Amino acid sequence: MPRYLLAALCAFGSISSSHAGDSLHDRIDGLIAAGHPNFAKQAAPLADDSEFLRRACLDLRGSIPTARETRAFLADPASDKREKLIDSLLAAPEYARRMTHHFDVLLNERRKDVKVLRADWEKYLTHSFTANRPFDLFVREILSADGVDNEKRAPAKFFLDRDFEANIVTRDIARLFLGRNLQCAQCHDHPTITDYKQEHYFGIYAFLSRTFLFPKANLPTAVLAEKADGDTNFMSVFDKTKTKKTTTPKMPGGKPIAEPKAEKGKEYTIAPTKPTVRPVPAFSRRALLAMTLTADRNFARASVNRFWAFMMGRGLIHPLDLDHGENPPSHPELLDILTDEFIAHKYDVKWLIRELALTETYQRSSVVPTGLETVPEDRYLVAALKPLSPEQMAYAIVQASGQADADRTEAGAKAEGLTIRKTLPISAVFAGPAGEPEDSSTATLDQTLFLKFGPVMRDMLAKRPNSLVDRLSKQKDARAVAEELFLSVLTRKPSAEEITDVADALKAKGDPEAIHRELVWSLMASGEFRFNH
Amino acid sequence: MAIDPTLARVERELKHTSPLIGCRFDPSGRYLYATAQDETIVRFDTTSDEKLSLVGHKSWARGLAFLPGSTSSSHTLLSADYHGKLFWWSSADATKPTRTLDAHEGWVRAVAVSPDGSTIATCGNDHLVKLWTAAGAPIRTLEGHASHVYNVAFHPDGRHLVSIDHKGILKDWDWQAGKCVRDLEAKALHSFDPRFYADIGGARGIAFDTRAGKVRLAACGITNVSNAFAGVGNPLVILFDWVDGKPTLLKLKDAFQGTGWGVAFHPDDYIILAAGGSGGRVFFWKGDDATSLHEVKVPIGARDLAVKAQGDQFAVAGANGTAYLYGFTPPPKVEKKPAAKPKK
Amino acid sequence: MRAPYFCNTAAHSVNRRAFLGTSLGAAAALTPLGFASAAAAKTLQKSQKRVCVIYLSGGASQLETWDPKPNTDNGGPFRSIPTSVPGTHISELLPLSAKQAHRLAIVRGVNTKENSHSPGRTIMLTGRRPDPAIQYPHLGAVSAKLLGSESDTLPGHISILPNAEGASNKSDAAFLGPKFAAILLGDGKPPANLLRPKTLTEEADLQREALRKKLTDRFARSRRSAATEAYSESFDQADQIFRQADLFDVAKEPAKTSDRYGKHDFARHLLLARRLLEAGVTYVKVSHSNYDTHHENFDFHLEQMGEFDRPFTAFLDDLQDRGMLESTLVVVMAEFGRTPKINDRYGRDHWGTAWSVALAGCGIKGGAVVGKTNANGTAVTDREVNGGHLFHTYLRAVGLDPKKNFYPNDRPVPIADPAAAAIDEILA
Repeated sequence: MPRYLLAALCAFGSISSSHAGDSLHDRIDGLIAAGHPNFAKQAAPLADDSEFLRRACLDLRGSIPTARETRAFLADPASDKREKLIDSLLAAPEYARRMTHHFDVLLNERRKDVKVLRADWEKYLTHSFTANRPFDLFVREILSADGVDNEKRAPAKFFLDRDFEANIVTRDIARLFLGRNLQCAQCHDHPTITDYKQEHYFGIYAFLSRTFLFPKANLPTAVLAEKADGDTNFMSVFDKTKTKKTTTPKMPGGKPIAEPKAEKGKEYTIAPTKPTVRPVPAFSRRALLAMTLTADRNFARASVNRFWAFMMGRGLIHPLDLDHGENPPSHPELLDILTDEFIAHKYDVKWLIRELALTETYQRSSVVPTGLETVPEDRYLVAALKPLSPEQMAYAIVQASGQADADRTEAGAKAEGLTIRKTLPISAVFAGPAGEPEDSSTATLDQTLFLKFGPVMRDMLAKRPNSLVDRLSKQKDARAVAEELFLSVLTRKPSAEEITDVADALKAKGDPEAIHRELVWSLMASGEFRFNH
Repeated sequence: MAIDPTLARVERELKHTSPLIGCRFDPSGRYLYATAQDETIVRFDTTSDEKLSLVGHKSWARGLAFLPGSTSSSHTLLSADYHGKLFWWSSADATKPTRTLDAHEGWVRAVAVSPDGSTIATCGNDHLVKLWTAAGAPIRTLEGHASHVYNVAFHPDGRHLVSIDHKGILKDWDWQAGKCVRDLEAKALHSFDPRFYADIGGARGIAFDTRAGKVRLAACGITNVSNAFAGVGNPLVILFDWVDGKPTLLKLKDAFQGTGWGVAFHPDDYIILAAGGSGGRVFFWKGDDATSLHEVKVPIGARDLAVKAQGDQFAVAGANGTAYLYGFTPPPKVEKKPAAKPKK
Repeated sequence: MRAPYFCNTAAHSVNRRAFLGTSLGAAAALTPLGFASAAAAKTLQKSQKRVCVIYLSGGASQLETWDPKPNTDNGGPFRSIPTSVPGTHISELLPLSAKQAHRLAIVRGVNTKENSHSPGRTIMLTGRRPDPAIQYPHLGAVSAKLLGSESDTLPGHISILPNAEGASNKSDAAFLGPKFAAILLGDGKPPANLLRPKTLTEEADLQREALRKKLTDRFARSRRSAATEAYSESFDQADQIFRQADLFDVAKEPAKTSDRYGKHDFARHLLLARRLLEAGVTYVKVSHSNYDTHHENFDFHLEQMGEFDRPFTAFLDDLQDRGMLESTLVVVMAEFGRTPKINDRYGRDHWGTAWSVALAGCGIKGGAVVGKTNANGTAVTDREVNGGHLFHTYLRAVGLDPKKNFYPNDRPVPIADPAAAAIDEILA
């Protein structure tokens, strides 16, 4: 019996719709189905092969499939082709590149590369995701790095290229790893969220407050150093009595960490006898941050929520950084199970992503069924649209236009570097402002003009051996042109109406190459291309 | 007189309370006149501790020149200010000006007197060079420059006048005919800094080599400017051969960041430059050698240079208000006191 | 912000309206100025308020502009000259501006307590000190948001720079969103990529646009996504601006007018600002480079103020002639002033302690002078104000209430710093 039907039955009973013995992806689907009455009737069907192929490639490879891949997938009769596709995408090197782009922007927010070079940082991320480093160990590495050892400096970028500004680091640790935006709790208990208290903010801050950049904050080669003393005190700006409070390091809602009392004279392993000496305390608060945070259940919860959003387009807790009592997850039991399973599987990222990809929830179509009047935001009746990230847009454009194919024809094994260079001006235009979480959903004038008239896009339309414009010129009729065009750019076959549109366009006067170019452009500039659907 | 530049040392510090802008020795060499940012001119008596304040300008003055007096020890000082005015001061009683004249619109940047003492030349921000009698009656105006005129000097023969502007264009005038005879280019003294959309240039100092024979003209300023608003550049002296107009760019043996503010010819066949910027320096070139052979560190940025006609001393106007009087005499020996005998 | 697809939300209704094309009027023939009729132009001009900021990059010296101290130890060589306001003197470097002092309000008691370029800039353009916890939107983004309207076909926030290379506007709208971020015009040239490339004929452009729209519409219908509609709308908006590309071409201005401004870069840029403001752009900032005169301050101010004085006054006259002055706020500011103490290279260094800002136009009391500094400019002695007070004043001048809030993420953020208030003395 299909999962969703079983779930529909179970929704009226008290039987849990998720059985521990089932695979995680089945349990997910069961709980999703149980989360809305008449789910089976109302939900969109599964995405067709084109939709699924494009979505999976964008999510797991960071780009769209080639026309050849699309044709092959559409023609493949195997019943398990989707699972095979997912596995091949996860095994390919492009998976690590895709995760590198995603986590670079997530963690570094397009900040200037000053204290850790871009190349080193990207290499570190790529290596971590190629090796499928357990996520808790990955985050632990980032939060315990001090930048001293040059070979191991890259993970320290999270701290160093924020200039270790303690308030910014506190805010971003809470946001990114604990799913809580505690920014408003810096000066007082959060005015509208009762669960976010000033002591939560400063509990995290206390891990960091003894750390400083050494020897000078503005040196590109600066490293982290730490004193053995220094208390964290705070006061609420709303408190008229001006009561000074104090806290030792702790996670929000957690116990303060045990701090050994150092013998006088033995506070340091390396004491700061001179300003040129980098102090190393006998007990490091910052070193404990990594262990304490990654052991906190909220870390697993927030991480799983982010990976869910990465695949599904929306977190179970939404927004991703507002996990609190008055903003419950859309599917609380599901989130708990995902959290438990992620921990049980030792934070295995590839395993988690694979499970998510295998769900019907992930594979649902984004086409709204005609009967459905209202589409609730958080019930997963219909797949959500995700705007392409700047990197996805760039890679998709170089692939859709066939410039990546032309590079492979021209340079063979050396093509990758050429293609990557082509993506850079495109992702730069779409990139968000530095130092802020990236939101790719709004179009700005400069982006639109870039697409319309910019020389980079014009170059994408160039006819080179095996570029799309070149391949179009070799098609025998309008139908063949339309097919090659739609398969290459939109990863699907054209409808009858679309074939007619193409045929009409081809009838126009003028240079056929020019017509081909602008056909390619029209599809690349369309909403269907801009979104992952 | 023959000098040894390596012996150059500060023989006296002539102190004033406000940063100095320009300085000149009177023809007798006894007095050093220095203009200052407090709008006064200070007259230092180099033979005593006497100082006199010449009060009258209501703006900064830089240009200084002399009309000969009736005796060898008397003279009239001319000073030109940034309100466009020219002042006359008598050495007999220099406490107040004997005459003032509205010479230019905007800054008068320099003033010069013809060798025979009959004619005064001024130049300024109105792009004009003007000629006056010694009594201040206008003779004529020379037009042609297209930017601020920074400096002006008479050729030793008195018939030619040279003026040089912000963009490094040097004009050779037959001033009596009112005609520009030729243009020479000192373009290395001008830069446009694209980072700040600003021009920097002009000859801050100018001098004719008045010895008979090969006549040369020196102009100094700043070159190699990579940051006009931070003064990152190097002092430059351009030496022109008067006859063929060929320029030679004098080089510094060791790099220095700053502007060349004053240049002079020393009778012992030296060219001396005072520069200020990243501190102060005085550079010496000998004869035809285009590379400096000696440099002296000045305690503060130098803003002008004056060389006594006799050549035994030169003065540097300091940005700290002190004029440093340099000479070439060996330093006084420090007497070693005999060790105190131990008490029995 | 994401456009969540909810029925019955404001976001949905806005985007549905756009999707159906009712806000576009794209089919209507537009005059070169972008208005459907001259009468409409006039009405728009009357009710619409605009802001023009002239930004003297690098920090212009208050002693060489609005608050001279001649004949003092810090005064430097320039005179002060009388102005059209009895008792008010400004630097001799601004002879034409002196004749228009009756239109200007001068604030001489500015103390922003900041001597660095970037924080100084933040203070002057956002009305607040830089804060690691939150980015505040620039005056341009605030103006575009609060004074602009949905029917605007031109971007509401434009910044004219001598050179746009390396400049970034990505954060200047902060939480107001990229729609209100500045469009940068380097050397007053049109926005990058505004003009159709030669390899694309008009006919080909129209055809491809038609196909793009058809595909997008089909897709949007099947997904019913507000975000897709917004994406498509961005092309229509770009098209609107493209049709008004002539606006950005200062050469189209009659010689009689452009001669009044002059031919140099700043003159052209200010003239372009007038064109844009007249066409309905809410906020234009024109930057004049550069004033960071640590070396030879006086020579460089001679040059830069020489470039400023005539176009600035021509601009005020031009606004007045077109009936725009009373609805356009003009602010002349910098990130800070310059030190009264003159350094040993005739330079003045960074100085946020006692300096000046000048204003004119909408809501401003012409001829007003508020704030005093001491005899040689080293301190404010009367009516000290900071960037917050100035920001309140700009908003009040154009009829906005600075005590109101924005609500990013449903959290109230005061539009202006609550610790400051408007400088009433210069408000009309």
